Amino acid sequence: MSAAASAPASARLPRLLSSPRALLGGGLVALAILAAILAPVLTPYGPNDTDFLAILQPPSLAHPFGTDDLGRDILTRVIYGARVSLVVGLVSVLASLVVGGIIGSIAGYVSGWTDTIIMRLMDVIFAFPGVLLALAITAVLGPSLGNAILAIAVVNLPVFARIARAQTMVVRSLDFVEAKRALGFGPVNILARSILPNIAAPMMVQGSLLFAAAIITESYLSFLGLGAQPPTATWGNMLRDAIGFLELAPWMAWFSGLAIFLTVLGFNVVGDALRDLFDPRTG
Amino acid sequence: MFCAWGGNLARQLVGRLVSLIPILFGVSVVVFLLVRLIPGDPVVALLGMEATPEAVAALRARYALDDPWAVQYLAWMKNLLTGDFGRSVQSGREVLPLLMGALLPTLWLALAATLVSLLIAIPTGVIAATRRDTAADAFASLLSLFGLSMPSFWIGVLLILLFSIHLPLLPASGYVAPGEDLGRFLTHLVLPAITLGTALAAAIMRMTRSTMLEVLQADYVRTARAKGLPHRTVIWKHAYRNAQIPIITLIGIQFGQVLGGVVITETIFSWPGIGKLTVDAIFARDYPVVQGAVLLTAGLFVFINLVTDIVYTIVDPRLRLS
Repeated sequence: MSAAASAPASARLPRLLSSPRALLGGGLVALAILAAILAPVLTPYGPNDTDFLAILQPPSLAHPFGTDDLGRDILTRVIYGARVSLVVGLVSVLASLVVGGIIGSIAGYVSGWTDTIIMRLMDVIFAFPGVLLALAITAVLGPSLGNAILAIAVVNLPVFARIARAQTMVVRSLDFVEAKRALGFGPVNILARSILPNIAAPMMVQGSLLFAAAIITESYLSFLGLGAQPPTATWGNMLRDAIGFLELAPWMAWFSGLAIFLTVLGFNVVGDALRDLFDPRTG
Repeated sequence: MFCAWGGNLARQLVGRLVSLIPILFGVSVVVFLLVRLIPGDPVVALLGMEATPEAVAALRARYALDDPWAVQYLAWMKNLLTGDFGRSVQSGREVLPLLMGALLPTLWLALAATLVSLLIAIPTGVIAATRRDTAADAFASLLSLFGLSMPSFWIGVLLILLFSIHLPLLPASGYVAPGEDLGRFLTHLVLPAITLGTALAAAIMRMTRSTMLEVLQADYVRTARAKGLPHRTVIWKHAYRNAQIPIITLIGIQFGQVLGGVVITETIFSWPGIGKLTVDAIFARDYPVVQGAVLLTAGLFVFINLVTDIVYTIVDPRLRLS
């Protein structure tokens, strides 16, 4: 299965890598990752350094994105904000991918009541609009970065579980899995060694697309005050702060929103490209 | 023939309704647990810190709070089914009228956003498909990618900056009921509807384009062209009509997502709907309102998905007869 799938994918790879779209997406993602890793090197200011002599300064050479109401350098906060967005995206998507992948593949492999119960539970999570469920979870557990990650992971869980289940149902009837079963291998071994590696590609593609959605949801939670708490710089809470100063300092709203837009655009383009690579029918 | 259709449709409808029962049960359990999972006593969560001992005792009895969770759940459900959603900790008002008061502004906003998205998405998607691989197609795909990647709150803020601050044409926030002053209602509605409609438009446009591309390859479209029918008739009467089914499905799904999206849009524009009510209640730790608002929104979401299923079964004769 994996060999069959990877042969045409590898044939499509060079064309995909040279497409302007993929280059743009990859470039934007690389930019966000580099900003997050190299934050302290890229800027002379700290994200929470206040300068009361430089409050609400418009963009200038000293502060290319201007300053906020506490005199903090907006460029610095945008760069540090990348850390929060990427960490939330990565951890929440990985958590839902691993948990959703495991429970979805168990549902698809075991079938029967286990499948019914697991998938009905996933349907219940799916019955809530994503943002609302994330909001309700963080409201109950309290606003924090960790709870925002947990909330986003729960929201994305059914997506991965459904994909894992559908893929497992295809793979479990393939000859090599039947052969392992006939040889007496147990379900844990078959799931871990034969099924999970073969359903990894579509899960990763979905993961890259949900990465973008996770960044947006985190920014919504932060915007509402339910994500990482001040003074931690996040793109969402920067935009929230900007609302009170739209007339006086519109630049406060420009750059944090632009950072979310470009990063999400990058992940969306990369996700689309990966999907075209592994499943050209949907392209 | 008609009876067979009707019979099939009724059977499918009953099947869908039955399949909703476990989901609605699950949703109610999750909402029930919301308040129970808050650290500390749920009585404090439901009544606030300053509740009188009498009020505490009454609440304990009404929700069976000294009994096991299963009994508590049944008591809670019984109250819900009689329209008793509890009282707001903050205002002391009953939750149900609060929710009903906020529902109408939310529905106006959701409908307007859907309308905005259709006005943008359908023509753009059809043009992109009929002019495949041209500059118009590339521009339309770029537009949809941008729409999908822009967080709605940023769109909202940019619209306020442009249309309320730089060109003071439209109000930045607030709500006027349509019965009070229709003109002012509409001017207040424009910016939130565009904000919420943009992401929706992007997804519908993508779907319109891909479905139209598929339909344009079909034999009946080729036949319509061969008959010498005008291009416009072929596109809108033959191709687009058949491309509608997946588009309707997506609109239904997206309309449900709009109910989640209103939380952000209503907060930015101070639109007094369910979304703003939920956020305000979260910050006021007004858990009866949070619980009621989440339950109502999730219930609406499930209901809209059901209506979508029914609509596309009616629209597509193949599904009716299958």
